[in-house]
Amino acid sequence: MKIKTTRFGEITLNDDQVIHMPHGMLGFPDSQRFVIIQNKENSPFLWYQSLDDPDLAFVITNPYLFMPDYNPQLKDGVTQMNWQMDGKGFLKTLEVYVVVNIPRGAPEKMTGNFMGPLVINPLCRQGLQVILSDGGYFHKTHLIFQMTEKGQGEDSEDKVGV
Amino acid sequence: MLILTRKSGEQIAIGDDIVINFLEIKGTQVKVGIEAPRHITVHRQEVYERVREENMAAASMTATELSLASEFYSHINTRKEEET
Repeated sequence: MKIKTTRFGEITLNDDQVIHMPHGMLGFPDSQRFVIIQNKENSPFLWYQSLDDPDLAFVITNPYLFMPDYNPQLKDGVTQMNWQMDGKGFLKTLEVYVVVNIPRGAPEKMTGNFMGPLVINPLCRQGLQVILSDGGYFHKTHLIFQMTEKGQGEDSEDKVGV
Repeated sequence: MLILTRKSGEQIAIGDDIVINFLEIKGTQVKVGIEAPRHITVHRQEVYERVREENMAAASMTATELSLASEFYSHINTRKEEET
């Protein structure tokens, strides 16, 4: 199918690339179909482009690059989506991303939303933005701080003082 | 909005399968227990709002910002590799 986007013009994609989000991203309930677009080779960042709104695209990244011991509680999300847990390794097959915020002109201050990870089940190509109420994760975790600080995985909320 | 007054230990039923228990009231704090089917998500409003606001802010990202961020990331990564 062909899809119009604001940032990438018209893109062509196969049905099996589409990720269905029955609940949308928080604040954007009307966009329920997305596709992941590679930004650049060797870049850890990806675009999460809505197919329902040409304007809507999020920058996402692999949280484990910045917080290797990130351990979001996904079981409630799995239940909410009614995903079938096939065996013990099921949770490991889920793809986890965090939404990235890059302040204009200040890439060094970019943050990741570790409190609301995007979880994708590659088997059924469905996605859900999970809210972690009690996991101790922050919605504005400084990514560069996470990369440079030796004590990775610490709660950046205390040190950044937001 | 429906407004109800409840005492500690009392409950409110919403539909057939949601029950709100008012467990304890102490000064300005209320301890609430919520029984709901597992497909219903329950969150503190402020947590929900934070994630939503982050999404709102993130939705206006441009390609320029992302390429600056990518460059910055590579720069830091290279420096990290040199150090080790």
